[in-house]
Amino acid sequence: MAKIIKALKGWEGFLLALLTMIVIFNSTLAPEYLQVNNWINLFELSIEKIIVALIMAFIIINAEIDLSVASTMGLTAAVLAWMNHAGHPFALALATAFLMGALAGAFNGFWIAYVGLPSLVVTLATMIMYRGGARVFMEDKSFGDFPEWFNNLGQQGLIGPLPFALILFVILAALAIIILQYSGFGRYVYVIGNNREVARYSGINVRRIKLILFTFSGLISGMAGILFAARLGAVRGDTALGFELDIITMVLLGGVSIFGGSGSIFGVLLSILIILNLRNGMSLLNLTGHLQTGVIGILLILSVLLPNLAQRVQELWRRRRYRSSSGEEAVQMP
Amino acid sequence: MNPASQPIMQLRRISKRFGATQALDDVSLDIYPGEVQALIGENGAGKSTLIKIMTGIYQPDQGEMRLEGRPIKVRNSQEAQVYGIAAIYQEPMVFPDLNVAENIFISHRDFGPLVRWKEMHRRAEAILAQLDVRLDVRQPARGLTLAAQQVVEIAKAISLDARVLIMDEPTASLSAHEVRQLFLLVERLRKKGVAVLFIGHRLEEVFEIADRITILRDGKLIASHLASEGVSAEQVIREMVGREVEEFFAKTTAERGDIALTVENLGKRGVFSGIHFQVRRGEVLGFAGLVGSRRTDVGLALFGIEPADEGRIILDGQEVEIRSSRQALEHGVAYMSEDRRQLGLVLPMSITANITLPTLRSYLNGLGLVQRQKEKSVAEKFKERLSIRAPSVEAPVAQLSGGNQQKVMLAKWLNAGPKVLILDEPTRGIDVGAKAEVHQLVDELAEQGLAIIVISSDLPEVLSMCDRILVMREGRQMGVFSRDEATQEVIMTAAMGQNNAVAEGAS
Repeated sequence: MAKIIKALKGWEGFLLALLTMIVIFNSTLAPEYLQVNNWINLFELSIEKIIVALIMAFIIINAEIDLSVASTMGLTAAVLAWMNHAGHPFALALATAFLMGALAGAFNGFWIAYVGLPSLVVTLATMIMYRGGARVFMEDKSFGDFPEWFNNLGQQGLIGPLPFALILFVILAALAIIILQYSGFGRYVYVIGNNREVARYSGINVRRIKLILFTFSGLISGMAGILFAARLGAVRGDTALGFELDIITMVLLGGVSIFGGSGSIFGVLLSILIILNLRNGMSLLNLTGHLQTGVIGILLILSVLLPNLAQRVQELWRRRRYRSSSGEEAVQMP
Repeated sequence: MNPASQPIMQLRRISKRFGATQALDDVSLDIYPGEVQALIGENGAGKSTLIKIMTGIYQPDQGEMRLEGRPIKVRNSQEAQVYGIAAIYQEPMVFPDLNVAENIFISHRDFGPLVRWKEMHRRAEAILAQLDVRLDVRQPARGLTLAAQQVVEIAKAISLDARVLIMDEPTASLSAHEVRQLFLLVERLRKKGVAVLFIGHRLEEVFEIADRITILRDGKLIASHLASEGVSAEQVIREMVGREVEEFFAKTTAERGDIALTVENLGKRGVFSGIHFQVRRGEVLGFAGLVGSRRTDVGLALFGIEPADEGRIILDGQEVEIRSSRQALEHGVAYMSEDRRQLGLVLPMSITANITLPTLRSYLNGLGLVQRQKEKSVAEKFKERLSIRAPSVEAPVAQLSGGNQQKVMLAKWLNAGPKVLILDEPTRGIDVGAKAEVHQLVDELAEQGLAIIVISSDLPEVLSMCDRILVMREGRQMGVFSRDEATQEVIMTAAMGQNNAVAEGAS
């Protein structure tokens, strides 16, 4: 109980309050909003992005960034569609696509972890490169004709009305919470994000952990690309174009620090719910998509601004108290 | 040389305090035009603080500065520039992508909104000609030698009409030839009437260049000698270290066990070479030396952070290879960094998480999850044993005082169960009480059979804590002294490179 109260005080508490407000507001706008089908629909429209947001949270907490996720989605979807179209067995196409995703991630990881290049630059380059790869496979065409079971997996409910991707997301989210918050690996992710030198001086293999993270980023993005192909039933060269920004927005709005070292999956889940419901509510109000995007942008700026402000106020408060209690100012040795 | 003239700058009763440390205590100093004044003292004597006050980086708590008799307040380095006070440092701060002339005039605001390149190049050439230095002013600073970069810095100071030039260990990374060139330059500055404050560690250089030798110790000005009065090196060293050695704790001599660590001819190209020593179980070996003596680099080599590239490391009779900190830990070598905030602790994380960090694997269950109760109880144990004062072991270490943070760091490495524990400046920046506790603890650890290496710039500390003391100077081992032979004078003499014969004979 004490833990829950403590969590509510921080950024996550703010997100939870915001979410509650949006849900109440939306439900007064339209009675059908609260129906299960609407909620499933909400999730389904962004399911690939929110799956990738989970691994992106790991990457950003580790004080890195991966801009190439959407291009990796496009690349794996393209590989899958192209191989299927060329008449290869579908199982082989699937396996190749998965492998492609993992390789794309490992390629990023190699340059970042072992050569020491900044992830912003490496993944910007591979974002362009992987997108180029997708376009090479697809040219200007659109390939579909996937096996029926594959399309059904993307478009129909697996258990009742719940689609496969949503169930997968719930499982992955639970796994992400366990790994990040409770496992030794998760501890390392936070430590490296906070201060990679302390990690290195503590005998932690920083490079290996970064390589693992980026490989998983590629693998999961690849999987999301495959899910996207199943849902749409067809793939083009520009499939998933620009998704990376939505994904990063979800993570940052969830209270993950862009400088690394702090944040939680719980916060990211809340921010995902907020973005999805906010968009839904704005659609109910007949606001255009562009306007919706603008509102999300404002929210993102607030997400960076508010915790900073809160921290400053807190520090001022603490300093004043400290001064009056000890009569001496806190000392900072140079 | 005309030391009879009026001082250009006077420091009057300057004091500065950082927490528990009195960095400067009532220091008064006169600086004369056309005179080279050497400022010497041990690490932590207050030299850097004094420079930083003169250049406006720190404000003194008490005291005042006068320039040509008028009191001045230097609030930042821009103001120092206006007053004609300039400083150049061991590592020159040039902009590598700008050319020599641009670097010289980087701080000038008198060129108007547009750069007049020809004019700037001509003036840069004129300044360099004044100094009798040949350097292409159009050449980018990248690729200049350290010595040439210093020349650029000096030219910069001259372009700003600096009347007081502070040189903070300018010779530390120069070759002998470059030092000669630099001294010729200093000579010319002296003739021009510039007042030079020269901070140095090499006594022979100090005696060569200085007109006046001023000694700081523990933040106090101890003495100021005119070189013409013929002061001896012995006297200067005595004055540098001369404080009474207060016995802050009585060392117990632990039962010596087997040799835990043997290091043979360890070296790393361009950093250190020929390091040779043994440590037994229950023994505390001290590493003494001045800034730039590369003691920390030896520690980092043994811990695999910056592996050595020659020599042998033998642990418990087995030759081992240490290429990473992981390997070092597996072989039972732990290194506690001198930089608590940047390299030692994850400040926002809990005491528990920090203590278990190097050994986290042993707290994982079969699924790779951290067993919170297990690590918490270990942390509680250390909290009690080292009397870490904190509200709980779940408190972030950022909230603790320096001394308690230091204890958390000690706990972190003790918990790794090392055979050899390297402590780098274990008591830097902590108060007297915590310091005594750390000393006591190190003593106990040795008694329990740990082999301990203490790297410390605090000479009295090294003398009272250690069984033997290895002295380094500029990457070389100057000697190993037993507790009986080691006095502050002996250590300082070796550390400053005086009288090598004695030092080598003692190892």
